[in-house]
Amino acid sequence: MVFTTAVNFIRARGPDEFWRKRKIFKIAAAFQGRKRNCYSIAIRYVHRALVYATKGRQLKKADMANLWETRVTAGCEEHGLPYADFREGLTKSNILLNRKTLADLACYEPHSFKALTNIAKQASVEGIAGLAKAPPLSGVRNRSNLK
Amino acid sequence: MSALKRVQQWATFARIWHVYDAKWQNPFQSSLLLKKYLMGMHKPIYHPMNDCGDHVIVINSKEIALPGDEWKKRVYFHHTGYPGGATWTLAWELHSKDPTMVIKKAVYNSMDGNLQRRYTMQRLHIFPDENVPEELMKNVSNQIRGIKPVPKRLDHYSEQEVKEFPKIIDYPKDYVLR
Repeated sequence: MVFTTAVNFIRARGPDEFWRKRKIFKIAAAFQGRKRNCYSIAIRYVHRALVYATKGRQLKKADMANLWETRVTAGCEEHGLPYADFREGLTKSNILLNRKTLADLACYEPHSFKALTNIAKQASVEGIAGLAKAPPLSGVRNRSNLK
Repeated sequence: MSALKRVQQWATFARIWHVYDAKWQNPFQSSLLLKKYLMGMHKPIYHPMNDCGDHVIVINSKEIALPGDEWKKRVYFHHTGYPGGATWTLAWELHSKDPTMVIKKAVYNSMDGNLQRRYTMQRLHIFPDENVPEELMKNVSNQIRGIKPVPKRLDHYSEQEVKEFPKIIDYPKDYVLR
C-alpha cells in the first residue's frame, strides 16, 4: 500500500531513538514533573500542546480584534458616536483604516481620533455632501500649520 | 519622565467616581452599562490586565424596576454546602431583605468569572436611597445617564395638567365607567 498523505510521517521512525526523543524533550522542556522527563508521558502532552498552539494562533487574532474593537468603541463613545456609525461614516468618506490602526489612534492620538469622529459624524448624518462641513480641530498639528 | 508627562500619566490612570441613579431603571440592562465603567471599558486605554476601572456609586437601588412579572418569577439560588442546604429566594423577597442585592447580583453576573471580578465589585458602591456618606460623594465627578427616563405617576400630575390633557372624546353624561 502506498501512503500519499503526510499524516503517516508522524508514525515514521527516525534514524536514531536518541535524536527522535530529543526533539520531543526539547519541546517538553518547560513542562512540569514527569511530563518533561518520561518520554511516553511527554509525547502525549507535547501532542496536546501542539494542538493548543495551532488553535491559539487563531484565538490570538480573534482576541486582539476584540480588544481593538473595545478600544475603538470606547474612543468613539467618548465623542457620542456609536461604533457602527463611526465605521460606516469612515467607509463612506473613503477612510479605510483597520481596527488596529483605529485602536492605536484612539489610545495614543486622541486629537487625531477626534478629527476622525468629526468626519464620521458628518458623513453618517449627511452623506458625502457633509464632509466639507466637518469642523477643523484646534490643537492638531499637521503639515498645513507646521512651521 | 518630564513633569508634564508625569501629570499626564496620573490623569490617564486616575480613578474617576461616577454616580448612577437607579430609580425606575432595569437592573439587568443597567448592569451592562455599569460593568463598562467598573472594568474601564469606556476608556481607549482598556486592556484586561490594565487596572483602569472606575468607581461607581449607585443610588436609589430600592426603587429599581424589574421588567414584566420578574419580581414574582425571578429566583435567586443559594446553597450552604450542607445536605438540604439549598434555598430559592424570589426577587421580591430578596429585595425586601436587602434592597441592594438585586442590582449587585446583576452586575456580578454580567461580568466574566475571573480573579479580577471580586476586586472589580469592590469598586461598586450601592445605596438603597440618596443617603451616601459625604466622603464618598465628594469624590464624584460624573453622573451616568439612566438608560430610560423616569416615568411620572398620574397622581404626581397636578389636577390642572390632567384636566388639560388632550383627549379624543368626552364620555356621555349617562355613560357608566367600570
